Amino acid sequence: MRYALTRIARFVLVFVIVTFLVMLVTRIGSKDPIRDLAGGTVGDAQMDKVRDDFPYVKACSGTFEYIPCVAKQYVFWAKDMVTGNMGVSYLKSQTVFEMFQERAPSTFFLGFWAIIIGLIIAVPIGVYSAYKRDGWLDRILSLGSYVSISMPQLVLAVLLLYGVASRFEFFPNRTNYIAPWENPVEHFKNFFLPSLTLGLGLGAVWSRLLRADMILTLQSDFINLARAKGVKPGRVLWVHALRSSVLSLITSVALQMSGLVSGAVVAEQFFGVPGLGFRLVEAVQTNDILAIQAITAVIVAVVVIVNVGVDLLYSVIDPRIRQMRAMG
Amino acid sequence: MSAQLQTAGRQGGGTLIEVENLQTHFTTPRGVVRAVDGVTFSLERGKALGVVGESGSGKTVLSRTIMGLVPRRGTHLGGAVRFEGQDILGRAPKDMRGVWGKEMAMIFQDPMTSLNPLMKIGRQIEEPLRNHLGMGRDDARATAKRLLTDVRIPEAERRLDQYPHELSGGMRQRVMIAIAMACGPTMLFADEPTTALDVTVQAQILDLINEQRRDRNMSVILVTHDLGVVAGHTDEIAVMYGGKLVEKAPTRRLFAAMKMPYTEALLQSIPKLDEPSHTRLATIPGRPPDLVNPPAGCRFAPRCPYAREKCLNEEPPLEQTSDDASHSFACWYPVGSPEYLDKRAEIDAQKVSVA
Amino acid sequence: MAGTGKAHLRDTDDIILRVEDLVMEFPVGRTGLKVNAVSGISFDVRRGETLGLVGESGCGKSTTGKAIMQLPRPTSGSVLFEGVELTTLQGQEMREARTRMQMIFQDPISSLNPRRKVRDIVREPLVIWKRGTTADQLGKVDALLEEVGIDPARAAESQPHQFSGGQCQRISIARSLVLDPTLIICDEPVSALDVSVQAQVLNLLEDLKTKHGLTLIFVAHDLAVVKNISDRVAVMYLGKMCEVAPSDVLFQAPAHHYTAVLKDSIPVPDPEIAVAQVAIEGEPPSPVLPPAGCRFHPRCPAADERCSSEEPQLREIGDGHFVACHHPLVGGEAPVTVRSATDA
Repeated sequence: MRYALTRIARFVLVFVIVTFLVMLVTRIGSKDPIRDLAGGTVGDAQMDKVRDDFPYVKACSGTFEYIPCVAKQYVFWAKDMVTGNMGVSYLKSQTVFEMFQERAPSTFFLGFWAIIIGLIIAVPIGVYSAYKRDGWLDRILSLGSYVSISMPQLVLAVLLLYGVASRFEFFPNRTNYIAPWENPVEHFKNFFLPSLTLGLGLGAVWSRLLRADMILTLQSDFINLARAKGVKPGRVLWVHALRSSVLSLITSVALQMSGLVSGAVVAEQFFGVPGLGFRLVEAVQTNDILAIQAITAVIVAVVVIVNVGVDLLYSVIDPRIRQMRAMG
Repeated sequence: MSAQLQTAGRQGGGTLIEVENLQTHFTTPRGVVRAVDGVTFSLERGKALGVVGESGSGKTVLSRTIMGLVPRRGTHLGGAVRFEGQDILGRAPKDMRGVWGKEMAMIFQDPMTSLNPLMKIGRQIEEPLRNHLGMGRDDARATAKRLLTDVRIPEAERRLDQYPHELSGGMRQRVMIAIAMACGPTMLFADEPTTALDVTVQAQILDLINEQRRDRNMSVILVTHDLGVVAGHTDEIAVMYGGKLVEKAPTRRLFAAMKMPYTEALLQSIPKLDEPSHTRLATIPGRPPDLVNPPAGCRFAPRCPYAREKCLNEEPPLEQTSDDASHSFACWYPVGSPEYLDKRAEIDAQKVSVA
Repeated sequence: MAGTGKAHLRDTDDIILRVEDLVMEFPVGRTGLKVNAVSGISFDVRRGETLGLVGESGCGKSTTGKAIMQLPRPTSGSVLFEGVELTTLQGQEMREARTRMQMIFQDPISSLNPRRKVRDIVREPLVIWKRGTTADQLGKVDALLEEVGIDPARAAESQPHQFSGGQCQRISIARSLVLDPTLIICDEPVSALDVSVQAQVLNLLEDLKTKHGLTLIFVAHDLAVVKNISDRVAVMYLGKMCEVAPSDVLFQAPAHHYTAVLKDSIPVPDPEIAVAQVAIEGEPPSPVLPPAGCRFHPRCPAADERCSSEEPQLREIGDGHFVACHHPLVGGEAPVTVRSATDA
């Protein structure tokens, strides 16, 4: 318990540091933050309204006053965030909250399916290649994963877009958001290719990780004992060996979360997914600072929460870690 | 006790296992390693055989080959292993699964690494029960608890729900024995079962294995480097050197009349409690042979103080002694032979002149 | 048993090491509990003597060896080495003192840097301490390597993994001698080796001890090995000292019940000697919550009321033979009845 609390406290700290840094740099990039907030060329009335809505936003200057000035604004902003008032995108005439409602589901499903595709690729290949190490199929799979690991997502996106989406009617060229519970088939059509763009590389990396760990595990005494007990090979592999070999894989899932986010920006651009990544690029181009801050804050929060979750998952999987943590 | 039920019909003697000219050769980047190179012996029901040798003698590979646990790829197997009359050497794992854990069980050296660290003790014992005897969850758990009590683990019920890291080394080795005993095997391989344990615990574990052997009329192959361990706990001893059997005899006979200079040297190099402190220990010069390019002739000859020309060129066969058919050895000039005594006198004279 | 006391400390001027009331405790996570690894032991070693420290895992023998080296510093107590109090020594002085005592470990292969050439490994301490010219250093290293039976030419070209376990232990020994130490602490130096190699290394240690005028502390769990190499033996149980005696006396007539149990548990390589019934049941309790009184009392066949409340002190029962037990054995007679810690 104590362990979980210290972990959570540490991750809150990480969250604060990262979001503060984002605020700092957006303010550096903005000479007149009120005007940027208001959406550029607008009338005085609009400027006054924005000033009323966000009285704490102001330009900071001076060598020594700069950071305290931003920090003060950060406190107001953080308070707003916690109370659910994430701000307004005047440019789009939309509150940031509405923006999330519109954009977040697409990004969520993109990332979710990418991880699922990654795991669907990684687990069977990792387990099989370790079991039949250096066999012909293992060699082919190894080559395949090296190709996938070496291929930038950009290239893969182009391949899928031109090689698959534009040739087969089945997949649309631009992704529209359709919830899976509304129409699973349409959901699949729209999300498969962008998710594959992200998931293939993940699957390749994870399958190599899992293979290496499985090979070590399969050489350990307790696997020999399981065999000597007459346990079926499938059970030896999937129950005894796999569980002992997944810690690095799980760690990698957590570490890849930030990579996944940047990948999502690429995939959303290419496939026109109406997600947060797409919106973030727009916000940067238009200096929509509240939107930038809110989106980055949410991304950081998700990454951090996944990390906390993975960390707690270690205890679930390994009783020795559980005991160590219980002792503090 | 169901242990008795399980062993019913297995009473009495008779040969359980026959190993004939067994060869296990591994292909490695350096060449072919002749880890086991022509080993022949047989073992009766209910008897304990000690396989003794230094690391690299092939003793561990021997037991794993008999049980069929060596990796199949890159391994050449030769000869025969007859278990209850059937040749089981080189059988596919799927054909051995009915034997593993049910007929033959194995205890490994290191109880710290031999149990699955992520699985509760109870489930690890229940696995073979459910697998081989088709027991249901409750039956298996009750049997597991009884097995833990059999190997004298206190608070068996509570232990079932513990993980290996929560037990001491001695307790884990008891759990290993409980797992091995689960389906009432006829053959137990114990590979250095006490090397990782403290002396007082070692004595307990060796006793426990002996007790289980007697109760279940089970045969035991005890693999160890320690002649002290086999002296008190086996009926017969086989000494291995360089992948070969170099001497085999009933335990008492071996210690009373060992023939092979290697066996003698092995025994002499052990420090003994009844000798005064600072007694100079006898050593074996040199190193064990390279099993990729084993020496011609007797494999021990390059290290043997009694070796002669013949030893370096001709390989001695494993033959019975003239007075005891149960005692065989592979040596041209065994302990006590005139040539041995000549050399011995020479060596003693040298020692005196040096001193 | 398992008591304290200093009656066994000697008062001669050739004492090279004197350890008094050594305590070593480690916290258990943040639970506020602690492992009582060593709980107030005292002993001394004469120049040129070999002291054996025996006991089972968890008795604190290895911790004691390391505590002498101040690795880590003991929780409390005094370690007087060549007249210098080590526990308060700092920085450069401590480093200098450590060159006068060296340690050899159980796992010879992992205690040598795998990426360096063996000759450089042995030479390294000389380089660090800038002892002599390069030629002097290499001459000394090669002489030592020859002495321990390693070919210097091969050592110049090979890394540790190209040598066997026994050879690596010889290399560790050569390295430990290169700075001309007076005290060598051997922590289970032969327990990972085959018997034939073990005999070679034990003989080598005896030879080097005479030749280099060394004092040895030999930590091991194997009584026969310890008896062979030691002049004096100290038996430890759960962080306490049970018995101290000249090697031959201790094994002829153990006075502590635990020493007797240890002795009876050793498998004797002779089938004509009937295998003793298991001398003791169970395993030592946890050093986190050690028993009160004599720490051995829950498993001792002779324990009574007094043993569970009053800690026995080491007292002399013969010439140089000390025991910490309220009811010591006379003439080494083995315990008759047996009791298990868990039955109690």
